Amino acid sequence: MSKIALRASIGGAAVFATAIALGTGPVNAAEANPCIGNSGPVTGPAAFGGKSIRMGAEMAVDEINAAGGVLGKKLKFIQYDDRGAPPRGVDNVRRIGLRDNCVAMLGGYHSTVALAMRDPIHEIKMVYVGVIAANTKVIENGRNPNYMFRVSAKDRWVSKFLVAEALKRSPNNKVGIMYENTGWGKGAYPNIQAALREQGTKEVGAETFNWRDTDMTPQLIRLRKAGAESLVMWGLDREGNQIMRSLQKIGWNPVKIGAWGFAGNLGELAGKLANCALIMQTYSWMGKLEPRAQKLYDTMKKRYGIKSQKEIRMGSGVADAYDAIHIIAKAIKIAGSYDRQKVYEAMFSVKHNGLVMNYNPAFERTEERHDAILPSAYKLTAWYNGELLPLSQTPCK
Amino acid sequence: MSAALQYFLAGLGIGGIYALVAIGFHIMWSSAKAVNFAHGDTLMLGAVLTIVFLDHGIAMPLAILLSIGVAIVFGVVLERVAIRPFADNAASIGWMLTTIAIGIMLESYATIEFGAFARPLPSPGVDKPIIIFGAGVFIQELLIPFVAVLIVVLLGIFQRRTQLGRAMRAVAFNRVAAGIVGINVLHVAMFSFALASALGGLAGILVAPVIQASATMGLLLGIKGFAVAIIGGITSAPGVVIAGLLYGIIEKFVDGYISTAAREAVGFSLVIIVLMLFPQGLFGRRELVKV
Amino acid sequence: MSRIARHFNPAFVVAAAILILALPHIAANEYELRLITLLLIYAIIALGLNVLVGLTGLVSLGQAGLYAIGAYTAAILATRLGVGLVPGLILGMAFAGAFGVLLAYPTVRVRGVYLAVVTIAFGIIVENVAIEWDSLTGSWVGISNVPAPTLLGLPLDTNAYFIVVGASALIAFLVNLNLMNSRFGRAMRATAQSEIAARSLGINVVAIRTLAFVVSAMAAGAAGVFYVYLNKYISPDIFSFTDSIRFLLMVILGGSGTALGPVVGASIMTYLPEYLQAFGPWQAFAYGLLLAAVMFFLPRGIVGSVEHFLSGRMAEARPDTVREERPRLADIVAVDPADGSACLDARGVSVAFGGLVAVDKVDETVDSGKIHALIGPNGAGKSTFLNAISGVYRADSGSITFLGRDTTRLNSHQLARLGLARTFQNTELFSNMTVLENVLVAFHKEYRSNIFSTICRLPSFRRDERHFREAAIALLGFVGLSAYAHEKAENLAFGHQRQLEIARALALSPKLLLLDEPAAGLTHAEIEQLIALVRELAASGITILIVEHHVELIMEISDHVTVLDYGELIASGSAEEVQTDPKVIEAYFGSQSFGDGPEPAAGPGAGSAGGEA
Repeated sequence: MSKIALRASIGGAAVFATAIALGTGPVNAAEANPCIGNSGPVTGPAAFGGKSIRMGAEMAVDEINAAGGVLGKKLKFIQYDDRGAPPRGVDNVRRIGLRDNCVAMLGGYHSTVALAMRDPIHEIKMVYVGVIAANTKVIENGRNPNYMFRVSAKDRWVSKFLVAEALKRSPNNKVGIMYENTGWGKGAYPNIQAALREQGTKEVGAETFNWRDTDMTPQLIRLRKAGAESLVMWGLDREGNQIMRSLQKIGWNPVKIGAWGFAGNLGELAGKLANCALIMQTYSWMGKLEPRAQKLYDTMKKRYGIKSQKEIRMGSGVADAYDAIHIIAKAIKIAGSYDRQKVYEAMFSVKHNGLVMNYNPAFERTEERHDAILPSAYKLTAWYNGELLPLSQTPCK
Repeated sequence: MSAALQYFLAGLGIGGIYALVAIGFHIMWSSAKAVNFAHGDTLMLGAVLTIVFLDHGIAMPLAILLSIGVAIVFGVVLERVAIRPFADNAASIGWMLTTIAIGIMLESYATIEFGAFARPLPSPGVDKPIIIFGAGVFIQELLIPFVAVLIVVLLGIFQRRTQLGRAMRAVAFNRVAAGIVGINVLHVAMFSFALASALGGLAGILVAPVIQASATMGLLLGIKGFAVAIIGGITSAPGVVIAGLLYGIIEKFVDGYISTAAREAVGFSLVIIVLMLFPQGLFGRRELVKV
Repeated sequence: MSRIARHFNPAFVVAAAILILALPHIAANEYELRLITLLLIYAIIALGLNVLVGLTGLVSLGQAGLYAIGAYTAAILATRLGVGLVPGLILGMAFAGAFGVLLAYPTVRVRGVYLAVVTIAFGIIVENVAIEWDSLTGSWVGISNVPAPTLLGLPLDTNAYFIVVGASALIAFLVNLNLMNSRFGRAMRATAQSEIAARSLGINVVAIRTLAFVVSAMAAGAAGVFYVYLNKYISPDIFSFTDSIRFLLMVILGGSGTALGPVVGASIMTYLPEYLQAFGPWQAFAYGLLLAAVMFFLPRGIVGSVEHFLSGRMAEARPDTVREERPRLADIVAVDPADGSACLDARGVSVAFGGLVAVDKVDETVDSGKIHALIGPNGAGKSTFLNAISGVYRADSGSITFLGRDTTRLNSHQLARLGLARTFQNTELFSNMTVLENVLVAFHKEYRSNIFSTICRLPSFRRDERHFREAAIALLGFVGLSAYAHEKAENLAFGHQRQLEIARALALSPKLLLLDEPAAGLTHAEIEQLIALVRELAASGITILIVEHHVELIMEISDHVTVLDYGELIASGSAEEVQTDPKVIEAYFGSQSFGDGPEPAAGPGAGSAGGEA
């Protein structure tokens, strides 16, 4: 025992020397496996996000496999849990790319996770298609070739969209910003500022809030003092509800216009207080559905225990994931191989008439157009008496 | 001025929540020198179950009673399986980890069954805010600190006037001596956990209209409530309530005058500083250490 | 505990090194290799935490904060200043270690669940700062673009990096092992089991706890640095409260206080998520279930349970180390012949607990080389007086002089180092340590080898260890316990426990030995032995101050008897003088209530100051 230290240092030195001499990387297979991975929140408070991706992706994969699969192989969808933690997402990228050797992967719910994935995705050179997380820099990251694609909203475009709608409703162009203190909210903040600047104005104030905050009166008092007529809000339902209640407490009723984080159950939480809060979405499962969507809704009822249209949480995610899988499958077909490099090249040739919009083409070789869903497809909806309806179906303006 | 009042009132509401959680920790600690580390999840249980019962068409008063009943059963079972077998562990690792484990399981199960979304619990207390000198506050938010104070008063009376209450005090003072004079220490511990859990369930139902019920509402409430109980002096019921209210008010003033971002860092730094200056908490009695 | 550890040998190190070298070529793909690298990183943090939790008995629920400090230090230095792996590692460890000192400071005053809250608060503060100090940490978005690690200017690929981490984990393992089996490890375990006894043996428990915190913090810091270069990305999400729990679980699951346990625990906790993924939304539930199951069914952890099982079987097979000849005390420890001067002098010493005055202005001198008895009815303040002069309590007024030095304000460990040793009314042995280890703890302050030579097993360490091991065995021979050297102290018969406590006190080479009711619970024959032993000690020059109820024993051996009643000194003189003193007779027999009076030493008042020593 007493000689352990001595031997250890000799052993250690030998270890280093031999290691550096021997160091060679493992070989990567040229053809990837016919699977599409995903890293999303399966557990934790955003688990509904992971579930929406799984539903959309699995329904698309089933359709494709029922039609014989891709290049004679059945596709497989594999979902891993990241609980919204970027390092776990990074782990999952390597799990999908290095161990499972999948041909491509779908992104998850959280923008922070998506941002963190950029590095390992480019190390592995695997196509990533985001389906919810909307942070601008996930896609516009300055890399070339850029393996990051997205079939979802882009915060920069969403900001322009929301700011334009907010200014329409603010006679003196006085817009305040409330955003959540997370990667998503902080990423969107400069986008909102830029959108305001483009319109020749700037915000009267910007305030942050944290998850689980139960009172927003200090922030809102400051914004009211600054003279805000409308609030552009970036956050999730639970905190949205606290914003509505705090507004009521301080007796203030500005125009409220928010990103799609408020599209979950804000109306249920805040009831009438949320009336006429305007929310942007890419897809809505409410109201009468087109035949293709109706069929998917029936499948969801059968397979996933969905009982009503309202129960489809983060419905945009279902639709985006559904479209994204079809787009990837078409790209593999065009590539004629499960070779990741060829699939990447083929992504730019895909045209697809999807659920959200007609992608013609889905992607172009500019950084901006690695996003498939164009602002023209964005929809403005409004909460009214607990339901999130197209604006025209409500008395809101 | 109205801003400061607004922060004060909002802080009182949040502080009341911490105080309610902390009282539970106080009751458990007094009887067992151990607590349910996942006491925050008892609140979650009360709040979430009430909504589930309401969903099933059960009337509100009955739903509340049923939820508190389940919370009591939970407390008693937890004391029996997760606390009692580990009570002798000097470093307290045993019961800390078992109760944390049960908390994880409960939270995870609730996420699956109840969903990840927060849901509202209707209450007349949050229909309309009342305005005091330009500052708005919901009745419910004022009710919470009021109930916290009321519970301390009632607890004090209970511990002075009833046999069981006096037994609780005796056990809190000296477990061994209480056992020697014929008090069934284990029964007192069981009762204390039942009481703490009942109050926890009630607290959950009280706070849910303000902060909404969700499967994950418990963790942070539990940690903060425990920290508050410790800095207030976990052996003193009035102490933990005062600390809870103060902590809530300080938080809101940090939010209002410094920054929302600094809140947790400032708050938890205060916790450490207070513990350095008052190792037994602000109002706590020194724990017995025999030589 | 150290039994299996002792069976490790250089062959183990070589085997581990070969395994580390071979793994990159065995691993199925790069992902698998990364996973093993992660495992080793977790092993480093768990090994460090083991020193804190397993050895020193302190719970940290904020280890993720220290891990974060190491990680952010390395990531910020690497991305901003281009600092490489090795300097990053050194700075990350140093920085985390500094925070370890900060965290250790509260242990001066708070313990147990209070300390848990301090560590939780620390973890949350670090997480909050990482979230809010956007310009430095990148907030939720975190830090990416971490460059590839380099060593001596050579870039390391995944394989080479694995080997660097592997070698570091092996070093961490050896540090943990060597620390465990050394005076530092013994002092840590002693502190965990009985702080008051550890202090009475001259161990500076604050220093020992600080050491444990620093070791665990540096390990966590190193792990953080390695993680940065493995993942090339960090954000606040992996430094949360739940991660601190995960690290603690690694130690508990593997077996806290064992050498291999943390590695086993880290392995399981690394691979667990791979399997839990299959549970989909139920994986968090399954994790909770596992945590509970470990606590219920394997509280000793996996390795701890195996060792426990084996130790039961090996106990019978162990040969006894019986020495034939009883050694002389003077050959083992330093004893000076008495010169008759004042050994201890108390002037107007008072100790009060709240309103209760337990010791009231007592003046007394204990002459060197004498057997001095302190008697009095229950509640007379004898034990309190003993605790005051041995530094457990601090006198509220008055002064105490020991060997000509004013020691009124000294702590018990400082007094122990001056040569004041003591035993306890209710024996305070380190019950989970062996009889031999109990005595070795008392030699802690005698060792000349420092922490560095201890961890590296330099010759100075081996010389010291051999020397004091022999001395301890000789001391056991002196009190007649050689046959039980490797038995756990808690398994000893009560009489033997008393003897062991005396042997342990003798290891301090005391000038003054305080015996607090040494005859309580002993059989008649054992009392005879005790009398002989006390006489022998006094004869060899050790001053004895004995508190005892056993009147016959007192009268038989005492040179001088002091009588306390209600905290006041009522008589002092030879045994004969005291026996006939009317005040003494009054105190003992005069009124029924005297004999049944309250005993402050066991009551709430006395206890309330206990933590203050």
